[in-house]
Amino acid sequence: MDVFSDLMMGFSVAISPINLLYLLIGAMVGMVVGVIPGFGPSAGLAILLPVTFGMDPTGAIMMLAAIYYGAMYGGTITSILLNTPGESATVASTFDGFPLARNGRAGPALVMQAAASFVGGTVGVILITILAPMFAQVSRSFGPPEYFLLAVMGMLTLIVMIGSHWKLGVISALIGFALGTVGVDLETGQGRYTFGSAELIGGVYFIPVAIGLFGLGELFFAFYTGLHRTGTGGIVQYDRQSRFWPTAEDWLSTRMTMVRGSILGFVVGVIPGAGATIASLMAYSTERSISRNGHNFGNGEMAGLVAPETANNAASSGAMIPLLTLGIPGSASTAVLLAAFLLWGLRPGPLFMETNPELAWGLIASMYLGNMALLAISIFAIPLFVQIIKVPYRILGPTVVVICAIGTFSVHASFIELYLMFAAGVIGFFMRLYGFSPAALVLALVLGPLAEEALRQTLTISRGSFMIFVDRAPSLWIIGVTVTLVLLLPLLNRFGSRNAASAESAGG
Amino acid sequence: MDFGTIFTRERLQAAAVAATLALASPAVAQDYPSADETLDWTIAFGPGGGNDIMARNIIDILTKYDLYPGDIQAENRAGGSGAVGWGYLYTQSGDPYGISTTSGSFVTTPLQADTPWQPEDFTPVALLTTDDLVLVVNRDSEIQNIEQFIEHAKANPMNIGGTGTVNVDFIVPTLFAQKAGFEFDYVSFNSMSEQTTALLSNALDAMVGNPGEILGLIESGDLRPLVFSGQSVPDALAGVPTMGELGYDIGVSMPRGLILPPDAPAEAQEWWIETMKKVVETPEWGEYIRSNTLTPTVIYGDEFGAFLSRTKNGFGEVLRSVGAIQ
Repeated sequence: MDVFSDLMMGFSVAISPINLLYLLIGAMVGMVVGVIPGFGPSAGLAILLPVTFGMDPTGAIMMLAAIYYGAMYGGTITSILLNTPGESATVASTFDGFPLARNGRAGPALVMQAAASFVGGTVGVILITILAPMFAQVSRSFGPPEYFLLAVMGMLTLIVMIGSHWKLGVISALIGFALGTVGVDLETGQGRYTFGSAELIGGVYFIPVAIGLFGLGELFFAFYTGLHRTGTGGIVQYDRQSRFWPTAEDWLSTRMTMVRGSILGFVVGVIPGAGATIASLMAYSTERSISRNGHNFGNGEMAGLVAPETANNAASSGAMIPLLTLGIPGSASTAVLLAAFLLWGLRPGPLFMETNPELAWGLIASMYLGNMALLAISIFAIPLFVQIIKVPYRILGPTVVVICAIGTFSVHASFIELYLMFAAGVIGFFMRLYGFSPAALVLALVLGPLAEEALRQTLTISRGSFMIFVDRAPSLWIIGVTVTLVLLLPLLNRFGSRNAASAESAGG
Repeated sequence: MDFGTIFTRERLQAAAVAATLALASPAVAQDYPSADETLDWTIAFGPGGGNDIMARNIIDILTKYDLYPGDIQAENRAGGSGAVGWGYLYTQSGDPYGISTTSGSFVTTPLQADTPWQPEDFTPVALLTTDDLVLVVNRDSEIQNIEQFIEHAKANPMNIGGTGTVNVDFIVPTLFAQKAGFEFDYVSFNSMSEQTTALLSNALDAMVGNPGEILGLIESGDLRPLVFSGQSVPDALAGVPTMGELGYDIGVSMPRGLILPPDAPAEAQEWWIETMKKVVETPEWGEYIRSNTLTPTVIYGDEFGAFLSRTKNGFGEVLRSVGAIQ
């Protein structure tokens, strides 16, 4: 078993004391980032990225990845106790999570969400272990034509998934594409919109944009909606002693839900442009139509909590596959993770697992351990995280602004990027206010230049002929999958579409 | 009138004395380098890149062999393809305690952007090594050697991939093709791994790259090396001809060297030249060159300065001829 020995090697890397410490810190920070409403993993990752400078890359990447999937655990705590999703991928968890808490079952709901997250996350990692090496093999036959098509697929999927607000999504993406044109043209070497500034040669760096849009923008929006005033009055109290643990009935009735949620979530996560938010909404609507108690969904049905929770965790694992094997991020959070790899001079892609086996397999192994740690943390440290919800916004707000500014500045020590971050914060607020999609903007900013470059490389190679897209077998396959997705997803997503737009714009 | 003249002369003298003091005070000539002064070492790129690795290797050697008496503070001042870091060194004009390492962007960034500085402005210490390129094809390719490649390329133009355009990756094959008399389409990529993937997927016909980054794939047989742009072939590429051996010497490579701020005192320049002569003799330096598959090309002082302006003019000419810069 090749995969098995690789994985064991990964564990030997991940289990070193210092890496375990980083992993635990990452898991805790992920929980915190998830718990704070309006503060998703993309903002948390972008802000904390500079903190990892000077660390060993393996430990740093393990830690950042733990923040990423840890946020999926933390986000649900507020969904259940406060009816406010901690981040966008846990919106669907409020539908039945909060009614469960109101019915006096907050304890079992919290334990079941931790268990469901653990199952989703672990199934996701098992699937990564098996599938990532295969994907890496397949992606070795991918050249510029395939990369162009994958970027197009990512953007199309995202826009189709935004659903009824798709026009606003397209406009958001176009803004992202426009920003992506700044910088030196890769092919001719000419500066585009650089105005002779050396700081803009490299283009509009997306970390400050992501920090501004997701960190500051969300904070401004929270103030606008009065979250700082309503504060935390609405926390449902729960009993730690009696009736804390789920009943046998809770476990038995949701065991198939967990299986379905894991697989569905993983598959959606692998598709570039879809991601955890969409996976959780799809899992919820699928489960509601399959379940015998479907009519009771929304009134505190355990399966209605378990389905989105397994799915969003499995999806966050699934999204690691295109990231590691193709270097293509499927969401704003994985785009930040990609930036982290690049900062260490590591370029994820088809050759990544082969050339950096210790890092790649160490990361995968750390995800097994991280999910275990998160399961324990989220069951036993719930009271701790409930305290975080109680931190008033007058303390939280200024802290977030300061952290955003320091985080941005410490990446390149650039004032232009600092201004850019604040500008993105203001823009992010108005985008939220009018229903635009900051996630589409950030993803377009990353995928836009990639698509443009790949298309021009393709056409240079083919000497201007578009036939290269059908002549190459991998291209043809990707076109087929894309067309199928664009036609099928809206049907599957009939329920999700109502919520996806608002949820996706909250940070994905 | 006379009084006025004297007054002016006095003021001028005072100003001159003050200026001399200002320049000399950190560097009382004979005492350079003073153990009390901290050396402000600018790394114009982020941690982990080629420039960072070289700077930190030199600092490690200086520390290990006690070659520098004072403290050395290395700082990554990244941004604008080196413009930020070297811009900072530029503002340290005359200061013997500012220092930095160069790389390809040292020549290319001022060609692309309105930087206040040019490579010639700085005080050159030494060129230490050059990054040279190897031309490779996929193992599936019918082309076995460089003669076949040129022959094939003359008959039907091929494409060659490389990283970036205002870059040695573009300039080396362009000059080589001019000398060897063939045409090609240059395909520009963002990174080595993207272009390697494109070559392995049979989208590209050939590519150029730093041997250090693709050595694994050359050794495993996935890539076939055809020709090397440096003056001498690294051990790992034994048997591969250089462009010079074929009679198509292009005389261009990425300069990795050491510079001081503009108008640094001559004592400081000389001290560093002597010190670098010791550094390049250490086994640690040899190991750095070997493990990064660099070509050791050592020249000192003004000769390095002349090399920089020659390289800059060569780059500028090629880039202007294809319209990449004005």
